[in-house]
Amino acid sequence: MTPVNIVLGVIGFDCHSVGNKILDAFFGEAGFKVTNLGVMVSQEEFISAAVETDARAILVSSLYGHGEIDCAGLREKCIEKGLEEIILYVGGNLVVGKTPFAEVEAKFLKMGYDRVFGPDCVLDEVVELLKEDLESR
Amino acid sequence: MIEDRVICVDIGSTWTKGAVFKLSHDRFSLERRAAMATTTDYLPDGFYAVLRHLQPDCNWHNTESSPLPVYFSSSAKGGLSVAVVGLVPEMTLQIARLAAFSAGARITAAYSYRLTRNCIAAIEKSRPDILLLCGGTDGGNERYVTENARVLASSDYDGTIIYAGNNMAVDQIRDLLDSRDLRISENLMPDFGQLNIEPVREAIKSVFLERIVSGKGLDQLIRQFDTQPLPTPLAMINLVDAIGKNIADWQNFALIDMGGATTDFYSFAEAYYADSGTIMKGIVEPRLKRTVEGDLGMRVSAESAFETARDLLLASLEGSQQSLESLRAYTEKLVANTSHLPADLAEQSYDQLLASACIFHAVMRHAGIIEQIYTAKGPVWAQSGKDLRRINRIVGTGGFLAAMGRAGDAIELPFSPQPDVEKIPLLPVNFEYYADPDYILPLLGSLAEKYPRQSAAAAVSYLTRLHPNEEEVKEFSHSEFTDA
Repeated sequence: MTPVNIVLGVIGFDCHSVGNKILDAFFGEAGFKVTNLGVMVSQEEFISAAVETDARAILVSSLYGHGEIDCAGLREKCIEKGLEEIILYVGGNLVVGKTPFAEVEAKFLKMGYDRVFGPDCVLDEVVELLKEDLESR
Repeated sequence: MIEDRVICVDIGSTWTKGAVFKLSHDRFSLERRAAMATTTDYLPDGFYAVLRHLQPDCNWHNTESSPLPVYFSSSAKGGLSVAVVGLVPEMTLQIARLAAFSAGARITAAYSYRLTRNCIAAIEKSRPDILLLCGGTDGGNERYVTENARVLASSDYDGTIIYAGNNMAVDQIRDLLDSRDLRISENLMPDFGQLNIEPVREAIKSVFLERIVSGKGLDQLIRQFDTQPLPTPLAMINLVDAIGKNIADWQNFALIDMGGATTDFYSFAEAYYADSGTIMKGIVEPRLKRTVEGDLGMRVSAESAFETARDLLLASLEGSQQSLESLRAYTEKLVANTSHLPADLAEQSYDQLLASACIFHAVMRHAGIIEQIYTAKGPVWAQSGKDLRRINRIVGTGGFLAAMGRAGDAIELPFSPQPDVEKIPLLPVNFEYYADPDYILPLLGSLAEKYPRQSAAAAVSYLTRLHPNEEEVKEFSHSEFTDA
């Protein structure tokens, strides 16, 4: 079977590259064809990559605390570009301060992300969830 | 046999130019030149006239063997016309543009995403020689290319279709377009952001060879001299490549070939310097890049060049006795009579203004930009397109710039970017200007593939370094490149 294409990157002007490299290796090992855009990726770049590679999911990372403003509107832009079906995941240190994770999650779900992960999530579980979500679409 | 002497001929739209080169001390040297009017009905007539002038003692009509090796190029109506169809405008479509230009082709139209009925109607009407269809990484998006192939299959377009998209869609493309002249090439962007333009260049080149040999007698020349002609711009690209790769001081340079109809801009330079402190947006363009501006030219395109450059021309005329209106009238006159030569000093200065303006707009379109983006962590510079700031040599060739070179005049290159712009163009900053006074580069270009080192060494040795001067416009001869 041909591997599922996914797009990965750190959004906005965030330069945190270590986690990005770990995710790239991990999802590659798990059998996905990863297009890793690296750090400082704009919403437009995520979308261009997803269109050209026919990705079924975009995995957005944000660690520098400005995730809310960087991530807002990505779902709407995807729909504009014909990516109505795409799965959007977001994870990292999404907001500054000690906001309870449930609140953060609710906020990003409302923005149109399918799943929201904190900085301490277990990647094996993320892979399982992604496979489930891919199957259900 | 060591080819110690060779003949190169370039069949242009008005002139057929030729030269004998001698190979010695690892470079070519010019022995003799000739130019004759191109015989458009039957090209070999003008071709043989040039050969006879170059080597009167040879029997050029003995078609069994050629006394000297002959290489030639042909401008063939400005090269093949290509319509490019990509997916995302700044990704596969942009790469398709780069590929078509670097194959020496003319781009007549560019379409992204899906071909609508209007697009198809425009393609049917303009009938480009080639339609370059691409989109999707290998294993990526198939939907757009197959959908576009489907509408093309039911269209009246009957030119050559080169497919250079997602390799997983090849079978579907073949099935859909089996009644067409379809060529399958490798994907232009096999992985996201990765460029692979060489196979498409080769595909376009082979279509060119098939097309130009049919009719006008070129097939006879190919048979007799056992050589394949190149499109003139491709010969030039090969030469630019050979110079950049073989000559130590020429690793960052640009070449402007300005004609009556188009202005071609070539650059050989690293497109992005990771150490420049800027972040890159979009694709990193290739080291060797060509762009063609169909609206910028000295004669056929003089009026459109005037319209494009109106603001710049107005600024240049400030404080002078001449008016924008009289310049506009001059460009009208040029379009009506494309072989017009300046009659007086005023017209000469108009030509120079027009030339500077064409070059300025051509370099602006060729160059990338940087812009400052304010982030929570302070300002950041983001680059898109090609960085030309480290280019330290610029060559001017083509009829007008060659003529200026013969007169010893450097063209004024107005490369200082305007202040207070948000997007700063990445233009050359410190550079030396070189002219090609003998207009010899296109001829050496046809040797560049086989003799890269020797042709590159010859090319730079025939260039003349010129210094911009502040003097009044001098008289100079516009007479065409000719020995005759």
